[in-house]
Amino acid sequence: MPGDKHAKLDTLRQQITAIAAQPALRDTAHTLVGGGLLATPRGVLHEVYADTPRDGGAALGFALAQAGLLIESGRPAVLYVQMSVDAQELGLPYGLGLDLFGLDPRQLVLIRTAGIAELLWAIEEAIACRAVAAIVADIAHPHKALDFTASRRLSLRAAAAGASVLMVRYARDREASAARYRWRISPVQSRPPPFDDRAPGLPRWQVTLEKGSLDGQHIVSPEGEALVVDWTRHGFARVAADDRTGGARRPAPLSGAVPAALGDGLSQAS
Amino acid sequence: MRLVAVDERAAAEGLIVGMPLADAKGLVPHLTVREIDRAYTARVFADFADWHSNASPLVSVLTDMGEWGDLVLDITGVSHLFGGEAAMLSRLMARLETLGLAVTGAIAPTIGGAWALAHYGGAQVVEDGLDALLAPLPVAALRLTAAQCEGLHQLGLKRIGQLYGRDRRGLQARFGESLLARLDQALGYAEERLVPRLPVTELYMERRFAEPIGLIDDVLMTVRDLALQLADRLGRDGQGAQAFHLFLYRVDHKVMTLSVNAARATRDAAHIARLFVHRAERLEGEYDAGFGIDTIRLAAGSLATLGETQIGAFETDDGAASLDQLYDRMTSRLGPLAVLRTEMVDSHIPERAVRLTPVIASTAQVDAPPAIAAPRPLRLLPQPEPINVLAEVPDAPPVQMVWRRVTYRFVKASGPERIGVEWWQAGQPLALTGPAPPAVPGGSFAEPYSEGEQTRDYYIAEDDGGRRFWIFRQGLFGLAAAPRWYLQGVFA
Repeated sequence: MPGDKHAKLDTLRQQITAIAAQPALRDTAHTLVGGGLLATPRGVLHEVYADTPRDGGAALGFALAQAGLLIESGRPAVLYVQMSVDAQELGLPYGLGLDLFGLDPRQLVLIRTAGIAELLWAIEEAIACRAVAAIVADIAHPHKALDFTASRRLSLRAAAAGASVLMVRYARDREASAARYRWRISPVQSRPPPFDDRAPGLPRWQVTLEKGSLDGQHIVSPEGEALVVDWTRHGFARVAADDRTGGARRPAPLSGAVPAALGDGLSQAS
Repeated sequence: MRLVAVDERAAAEGLIVGMPLADAKGLVPHLTVREIDRAYTARVFADFADWHSNASPLVSVLTDMGEWGDLVLDITGVSHLFGGEAAMLSRLMARLETLGLAVTGAIAPTIGGAWALAHYGGAQVVEDGLDALLAPLPVAALRLTAAQCEGLHQLGLKRIGQLYGRDRRGLQARFGESLLARLDQALGYAEERLVPRLPVTELYMERRFAEPIGLIDDVLMTVRDLALQLADRLGRDGQGAQAFHLFLYRVDHKVMTLSVNAARATRDAAHIARLFVHRAERLEGEYDAGFGIDTIRLAAGSLATLGETQIGAFETDDGAASLDQLYDRMTSRLGPLAVLRTEMVDSHIPERAVRLTPVIASTAQVDAPPAIAAPRPLRLLPQPEPINVLAEVPDAPPVQMVWRRVTYRFVKASGPERIGVEWWQAGQPLALTGPAPPAVPGGSFAEPYSEGEQTRDYYIAEDDGGRRFWIFRQGLFGLAAAPRWYLQGVFA
């Protein structure tokens, strides 16, 4: 009977949502940090996906921004973990550029491991420290060791200790994971600063929350478009739909015609 | 080719050290000759020397004389453990003789005196009256060069005693300062120092085993016990230590040394033991117990006063202590070059303006980073990568680039920001740039970047997908070498 099937399906779906809510994690995720747009609780595992390594700037920027929001007086440290073989492909966080993301370059400790096993060990060890606010792991390529078990393990530890883990990954297809949040970040053309139409402006990203939900926040605007945010020194700022000019070279309001008219005002008037 | 060592049977046939090989073959046609492997003998001798650290903490090998060196022990304050100096000497020598080695040794107040007696005077213990004992020995006992010995012989100065009271200026003019230095060292007028082979430690705990152990787990379990004893001792003295060394004495007379460092002085036994557990995981092939380990010693160095800390009820914990412990653990497991912190350097060249230094080595830095108005990228490539760039006119902002075989069209660009070369350090290799660039799928790195002495013009360019790059043009137009473009960083 079709009705029976539907009822069965419904109960199954409910069970799945119950499992996904992860009772082990639910209790710990009570403190929303700071508030504001895209604020996430402490002690959760995030995955931040970019499509390709060349979008790595946007993905790392988003991860560091989230990590910076988690810093508080008792938890001052943010750790960046990377395999040393990935350094040339992805680049290393540059001390002088971290200021925009609210991080003191002397507070960010870089950990360069020889392999994926050591990387996972370093993350786990860092989670256990109560002074670590967040760990950003930058992983260029998929690895066998990064399976569901590993992510489940990390998310349980993170929930128990209260440090967040942000795994920055580069792929279009998704692997099974126990991460509470999965973000997809892609760069968007920025709005030029007011004084120079041809210059790049603040970082602007398109943020899609593919998994998990933030309490009371609409990740998708009512029109069904993805969220576009600017990163400013004060946090994320939502970009309205009509402001997404993409920063293409807009026709300037004062284009060449005006001075010409002024210069030849007499002839125009006559 | 000459003989450097002969055994008893060869000596009985009349062969002596230093004899040409052809002569020796002529004397003894059925002579068995082996080429000497100096590196190997030196290594084995050094292992033996390390093993003697179970007799004295200060062990050194003098390499200025002799084929593979001379073993020197500083036994100040140690001999009573062996029942006196004479007993100690005979016991150490007997220990080596049972291994089938020919040993000679002496105990004297100076290194030079002990050397002379051991080589030319036979085994003995000298308390005082050293100069009288040295007087009849040949001058070669002063550790002189062959030319110096020959010169002294020509003058009829064959015994050390004949040098006493000679005109020092004349001796120095003829034989150089080293002769006087050696004489003074032997007689104790000039100080001579040992270069210890193993890290010098101030406090140690050790355990000896009736049966040798081999498993690393057993070793680590012992380390935990020893760490407790050491922490107890440090606590009673009100001290903490920053360096910890583990010496594993093997029954086949080799010593393995493991060292870990803590960022701040500590006497937390659990922390010390954990550091060694992590360090042991990095051992891999290095750990080789051989036929077993019969003594384990855990030693502490770099002691500092460390008072009892009181935990305040209303204090806020800034987490610095637990962070230091975390970095200690990571450093001991991953190696000191894997746990890094950014340090600012006063330089305008972007890759020199920051330096990655090991966390445990970094010092508290007070100077603020240089104020730079222009935006800086979030990621910096360890090496700038060459790119192909199109620009409308030579000095205009770039319009298009090809990076790792992908074409990017730029819609916005700002710049240039000109950074002049720092000629006083151009061309120096960068510290900690990481390993050689790996092969990247879909991209190939051309020749490695060379800094050269050319100015750079930096642009921030944004492509139609919103990616922001930091690229620079190296060199100027109108010069012999055309300018080249590189990509150095990525913005968020």
